[in-house]
Amino acid sequence: MDIISQLQEQVDTLASLAFNTIGTLQRDAPPVRLSSNYPEPPPPPANPAEDIAEQPKQMSAALVKAAKQFDALVTALPLSEGGEEAQLKRIAELQAENDAVGQELQKQLEAAEKELKQVVELFGQATDNCLNLKKPD
Amino acid sequence: MAAATYPPPPPYYRLYKDYLQDPKSAPEPPPPVEGTYLCYGGNYTTDDVIPSLEDQGVRQLYPKGPNVDFKKELRSLNRELQLHILELADVLVERPSQYARRVEDISLIFKNLHHLLNSLRPHQARATLIHILELQIQRRKQAVEDIKRRREEAQKLLKEAVGTLEGQ
Repeated sequence: MDIISQLQEQVDTLASLAFNTIGTLQRDAPPVRLSSNYPEPPPPPANPAEDIAEQPKQMSAALVKAAKQFDALVTALPLSEGGEEAQLKRIAELQAENDAVGQELQKQLEAAEKELKQVVELFGQATDNCLNLKKPD
Repeated sequence: MAAATYPPPPPYYRLYKDYLQDPKSAPEPPPPVEGTYLCYGGNYTTDDVIPSLEDQGVRQLYPKGPNVDFKKELRSLNRELQLHILELADVLVERPSQYARRVEDISLIFKNLHHLLNSLRPHQARATLIHILELQIQRRKQAVEDIKRRREEAQKLLKEAVGTLEGQ
């Protein structure tokens, strides 16, 4: 896949990772005590405690990795010459060169076809001669 | 049961009655459309440009100007995106009711990112065209070389044949 499509897919991956991270944190976060007037919140149900501590770490690691991947792809962009005009100028140059080479190719082709016709005619004469079908001039 | 029939074909077919005998007696096909045209009540344009962000009502975060440094802007937008995600997480902890503004900011950054990437596409198209032209020039030069070589070989063979015939 070309690099711009890869970049676009990486942006979409970043978006979905961010979405999943925030959503999962929001869904799984245990309730917290807001004010001392209210009693302690009930302890979370018997969810394995490691999951709740590990998940943010893993998800944020994935997010940071995706962002680094994006930076690497941006660095790999082959954005060499500056500007549209430089590219258009190069296209005009290449078109002129293409035309010139095309004309030379045409010339060579015509000369080669002429020579081929001559050779075929000579070969016909030689074989006629060999088979004694025509008296030689 | 009454059902609506399809509309009849346009009556222009009568103009082409003598087309086989005289191709010029029938009208020419209409020329291709230029500029804007109306299609099913919608305005379309034949000039393909990417609409700028302001046209879509989205604020543009990277500096405008003739030559935008794409790599730098893409990287700084990436950095800002990370910061905004962190900010969103913080806001959710401390002031959960104010998430909307942060989410809007994040979507703005994403729209800018996609617009920057889309505006790289014309550059990519031109670069592809340059590449194709270079390949074609190389193939044509190769073909010229091949033809020259074959002609020389044929000449050599013919000379050899003449020499052999005269030697007989």
